[in-house]
This record gives sequence, C-alpha cells and structure tokens, in this order.
Amino acid sequence: MEEKLSSVAKTFTPSPIQELSDLAQRCNAINLAEGFPDFPAPPCIKQAAVSAINNDFNQYRHVQGICDQLALKMNKMHGLNIDPLTDIAICCGQTEAFAATVFSIIDKGDEVLLFDPCYETYEGCIAMAGGIPVYVPLDPPRWTLDPEKLMSSFTSRTKAVVLNSPHNPTGKVFSREELEVIAECCRRWDCVAITDEVYEYITFDDQKHETIASLPGMQERTIITSSLSKTFSITGWRIGWAIAPASAASAIRNIHVKITDSAPAPFQEAALTALSSPTKYFETLRIEYQLKRDFCMKLLSSVGFRIQFKPQGSFFLFAELPKDCLLSDVEYVKELIKQAGVVVVPGRGFFHGKSDLDQHSDENCRHQKRYIRVAFCKSDATLSAAAQKFGELMNTRGSPKLYC
Amino acid sequence: MSTSSTQKDTVSTHDGTPQITQQPVQVAKRLEKFKTTIFTQMSMLAIKHGAINLGQGFPNFDGPDFVKEAAIQAIKDGKNQYARGYGVPDFNNALAARFKKDTGLVIDPDKEVTVTSGCTEAIAATMLGLINPGDEVILFAPFYDSYEATLSMAGAKIKCITLRPPDFAVPIDELKSAISKNTRAILINTPHNPTGKMFTREELNTIASLCIENDVLVFMDEVYDKLAFEMDHISMASLPGMYERTVTMNSLGKTFSLTGWKIGWAIAPPHLTWGVRQAHSFLTFATSTPMQWAATVALRAPDSYFEELKRDYMAKKAILVQGLKDVGFKVFPSSGTYFVVVDHTPFGLENDIAFCEYLIKEVGVVAIPTSVFYLNPEDGKNLVRFTFCKDEETLRSAVERMKEKLKKK
Repeated sequence: MEEKLSSVAKTFTPSPIQELSDLAQRCNAINLAEGFPDFPAPPCIKQAAVSAINNDFNQYRHVQGICDQLALKMNKMHGLNIDPLTDIAICCGQTEAFAATVFSIIDKGDEVLLFDPCYETYEGCIAMAGGIPVYVPLDPPRWTLDPEKLMSSFTSRTKAVVLNSPHNPTGKVFSREELEVIAECCRRWDCVAITDEVYEYITFDDQKHETIASLPGMQERTIITSSLSKTFSITGWRIGWAIAPASAASAIRNIHVKITDSAPAPFQEAALTALSSPTKYFETLRIEYQLKRDFCMKLLSSVGFRIQFKPQGSFFLFAELPKDCLLSDVEYVKELIKQAGVVVVPGRGFFHGKSDLDQHSDENCRHQKRYIRVAFCKSDATLSAAAQKFGELMNTRGSPKLYC
Repeated sequence: MSTSSTQKDTVSTHDGTPQITQQPVQVAKRLEKFKTTIFTQMSMLAIKHGAINLGQGFPNFDGPDFVKEAAIQAIKDGKNQYARGYGVPDFNNALAARFKKDTGLVIDPDKEVTVTSGCTEAIAATMLGLINPGDEVILFAPFYDSYEATLSMAGAKIKCITLRPPDFAVPIDELKSAISKNTRAILINTPHNPTGKMFTREELNTIASLCIENDVLVFMDEVYDKLAFEMDHISMASLPGMYERTVTMNSLGKTFSLTGWKIGWAIAPPHLTWGVRQAHSFLTFATSTPMQWAATVALRAPDSYFEELKRDYMAKKAILVQGLKDVGFKVFPSSGTYFVVVDHTPFGLENDIAFCEYLIKEVGVVAIPTSVFYLNPEDGKNLVRFTFCKDEETLRSAVERMKEKLKKK
C-alpha cells in the first residue's frame, strides 16, 4: 500500500542525524552529534514546572504572561515595539512555530530562499505546504554571503527568505552588512523574512545577535521564530513562539490551534520563570558555552584539524576535514565512532544539491562532503572524556591514527 | 476575516529613493476560513459575563496524583531533553501493551506507534502525511473543527455526510453513494464529539466492507474511548481486514483529565506510520519528554481507575441530562464522550449562535453552538452542545441558573 503515501511523504528520507544517534547509542559512543545538552536544566526552572503541575495548571491554556515578557525582551534587546496581545503565537517549540508560519504564508508554487548549508527540517516544512525551496550557498571557508548569489536567486515567485542566525550548522552569526543585503532584497522583492533565532542567547566574543526585524522596513515583513529550548537547556519541553505583524500572528495562532491546539500547559507556566531570569543567567550561559567552544577547537586542532572559521554563535562547530585526510565526512564519522568511540555529524546532510550559480559545480560540491559538525552543548565531563579519546587517536609520531 | 492586504504605497525617502511600504504580510489563500475558534470566542464572552462554562471540553478538576507525580519525578530525574522523535521507547511499549489489552491486536511499538502533541497533532500529521492535494476524503458532520482545517491544509476534497438527530445513525445509502474507488480515506470519530454517538458494530462492519471493496483508508479518532457509557467501544482496527488500512488515534488528555499536557498517538501499520512520522517530524519534531514518562505510568493504571472514571462521569451526566430535560430542552441520547447535544428551539431563539449568546448574557451559562461543526452551518442551527466534564456543584449551579432564567416561548 505504498501508493497510499502522499507524494510529499515519499520524497522524505529518515533523518541522518537520528540514524547516527542510533548507531552511537548501540556503540555507547560519546555523543557530540545531537544538538541538546547532557547537563541538567536550571533547577529553578524545573521547580517552576513542578509547582505548575502541583497547582493544577494541567488543562488547555494560553499563558498571556509569556507574550508580555517576550514583548519586553524584544524591546530591550532589539528596540522593537511588539503588541503582546496580537503579535505573538505560543507554539510547541520553534519547530511548530516554523511549521505554522510556513503554512500561514506559503501557497503552492511559492519559492522560499534558504541559505546553504542548512538545518534539515526547513525544507520538509516548505515542501509540505507546497512551496519550493531554493538554496543560496554561503561561501566557505567563512560562510560569507555573496550578494550577487542572493539577488540572482529572487524571482517573481519568491515569497520568503529563511534566516537562521546564529546558524546551525556553521555557528555563523550574520553580520549587520549581510542583514542589510537580505533586508534590501526583501524590501525590493516584497518578500517575507522568516527567522529561526533559537540560538539568540548563545553568541561569543563581542558578537551580538541582531534580528533582521530591527532593520528599516523589516518589522512589517518579518516573522521571528524562537524557543526556550536552547537558552534554558529544556529541549524536551516544547515551548516556542512566533512573533509577527498582527495579521500573520493571528493566522499562525489559528493554524497552531489546528495542529496541536496548545503548548504543554505546565511548561508554559514555567516559561514565565525562565523568561524572567536575571541578566546574570544569560551572561553565564554565554561564558560557559564560549569555554566549551574553545575547548572543542583545541580538541580538533590536536587531531590535525585547522579550524578556519571560529563559531560566532550557536553550540556547533563546523570543521573541514584536514587536507591530508582522504576520507569523506561519512567515512570519517564512522571511523571516529569505531576508533575513538565519539560520534559527530557528517556535514553532507546540511548541503542541498548543486548550485546552479557556480561555474565549477563539481569542484564546489566536493566541499559538501568534507565537513563534520561537532556539538559542544555537553558537560565538561563529556568534553574531557572526548578529549581523552581523541588523545588516544594519536600515534607515537604525533599524527592522528584515524586516517593515515 | 480578511487575510490578504497587498496594497502598496510608494513613499519617497528623504534622498528621493522610492521606498515601497507594504501593508501587513499576505496570508496564504487556503486559510481564508480559519477564524479564531468558536471555543475561544465563547470563553471570552463567558468570562466577561461571569457565566458557568459548560462549553469548552476540558475538566475543571485535575488529573490523578499518581500521574502528576510521575511527571514531576521525570523532570527531577532530568528527562528534559528531546525525546526520540516518534516517542520515548518505554511509552511506545506501554501504548502497544494497552492497544493489545483494548483490541487484542499485537503491534510493534517501534514501527507502528507514533507519539504526537495531542490527538490534534496526530490528526494533522495523518492528513499531511497520507493525503495528496485533490484526494477525496469522507467526513461525518458534525465534526471536530480541526478535521476540516487540516484536510484543507492537505488540499483534500471533502465529501461530507451528515448525521442527524435523534440518534445520529449513519445514513448507509448516502455513504454507499458517496464512497467509490476515488475515495482516498474516511475519517471517523467514535465515541463522537459533539453528539456522544458511538458507532455500532453493524455500522463499523458496513463501513469496513465498503472500505475494503474500494481500497479506502480509515482514520479513527478515538480520544473518548474510555468514556463509553451505553455500549462498548469498538476499534475499527480490530475488525477483520481493517488493521492494514487504519490509523487509530488517541490521547491521554480526556482519559486522565490532563488536556494541557498534549500527549497523543497514532497507531498504524508500518507503511502508513511512515507518512505520519514524516509529517510529524516537520510539525513538532518531538513530544514533551517528561509527560511521556508520566503517560507511561498512566497507561498502566489498574482497571479500577477506568471503572471509577466511568462511574464519576455517569453521575455527572445524570445530573446534567435530567437538569436539561427539566429546563425544557429536547435532549438527544449520548452514549459516550462527556458531551450531550440538545435542541434549543423551544426557547424561541432564531439559531444556535443567537441561543448561545442569549444563554451567556441572560442566563449565565455557556454552551457551544454546533453549526461550527458542520460544512453547512444551517444543518446545526437547532442544536447546541453541553459538556459535563465539570465537578457536580458546577453542573448543579448551571442547571439551577437555567431553571430560573431560561423560559420556553
């Protein structure tokens, strides 16, 4: 009865990240692949959820206080004026906020621009809504945005641009100049910007996260999606949101109601505690993740990697395999599991096909199989254990055994 | 509701460059009929008038302590990160065990069970994962409002068959002429919201043979299966030849009075589960982790829990049904769910919405107008839905208010 599957479902393949996790679990490998922490969530936020359950916040609800706090935050961080009564939809995670957003905006045949490499889920959503994903490659090694490539990707059918910053998998934070280029295109082509800002509080060095909605002419055409998950290390609670002009927010809310009806009630209540965390919480978050980033970079350098792009945000490091390593990304990842008992993600799953814009397509595509993504949202104990395993990879001459 | 605004105004900036200002974002065409739900509207009106809410279908009492404690323990134990996308393994196992107990069917928890954010998401994922644009899907009206919405998101062609009072029996001849080799799927909710009807074995058998004959899929929404009072609940999947073409959906919320936890599931053979899982992974990716652990405990509740649940609800139902009859409504028999549908016309209001507004403002009680549950609102204008998932005192107070203030014309 395979013919009963919708045509859209037939094109989907299982998540490569999830498959590798299964392999890693079977081998008991140290997991630097999946993007969620292995350290506990903040105690006071857990306690808030516990209290909510005990105090009977267990039926369908919409906690308006979340919207009030988000509006305050957006004003404080970005200078935006958001109406908490009309401009925000609370959803089951950023995933659902994004799905509802796509269904609210995208009609069959609408083109949606995505920057490559790219988190794997956006494309599936867009396809489900009948939209057409169009990829604009970022240029390695520093994943810079080439304005020409962006501008030539717009057509009369382009409806939206998806912007994930800080960026998964590269750790790039789009610069103000790049945001302005994207904004100019959106204004000129009358397009919507759909953002995924889940790593908004995880930026490093002097880097600050800026939302494209704060640029001139952009608030009225931007839909921001984000969540509690990464900021508060509670990826399993499913509390996210979309912030948009009232008519879009209303459509998103109505669709959300038809998809899940309500985000989990006790966690909405706990969100109030999370969102009123003191400034110190966010500072500590950044500092701790930055230390982990630096540790990870040292770790990879010690086994022959030359990191050309230092992550500016998120908790991912996207590293190119050393020049003298002849393995592909998948082969390297498999060897790493077998020889070191550490799992990371092969980068190819984040790239999407040949770029029509490149003259030398094949050569440029080669890089798509030469990257690994390392997640450093792990406890110090995990990272140290990984370091030890990496250390064992080195032979007596000080070169990595892995691929010689 | 207006959904698109594409008026462009060209404004010159100070350096003379024209800057196009755009009215708010244009919303997809498919959503033109999606308004704020009637439940939200009525609830807001209720709060404004201090009315007793017998409209929205969630309890004003809380879930059992042993389930709440399990969730708390899970949070404390650190089960706060992404669960496996299609469900925490222990929970999938518990679901398979429960399904075997309820239907006698043995299923593979890892290949045939998908956990979703409530049954609402199970429905959305099933529609989006298994329905192609243009596919014909049969629905029975009145229907839960998310069915029409998600079918329209999937681009389906809806064929509607209306169930009519007094017993809301399936019009078999109408069904036979509606179903054909062009039908992709049929969606059935039993026990049925809003009428409380339960599909009989005879009805299900007839539908089953039509589905087998025409190679039609069946999507079953069985969230009220544990609130079956006047007869036993029958799962379509347990009928001969039906498991291979059925998606059986359910949730924790109604059975355990925890409607806000959003734990639902879809059980289907692997070739159908695959599509459901794909859509689910793009809709919500994973379901709330601590609640899944708690749900595992819930599903293993002893039989006495479910017996007591039924007894409590039957007592509540008796209070409401007798009360509504005494007030003067024509009350239709409800075999299951915690809903009952009544004819309001003895009170002289022109339609269900007018009646419900009158009921809130002048009497101080909320009911839901059923016209929103029909493709053609006219079909529902004589009926309103009351719920009895409220504590007994609330039900008695509501009945008192109606006896006092609601007068027949």
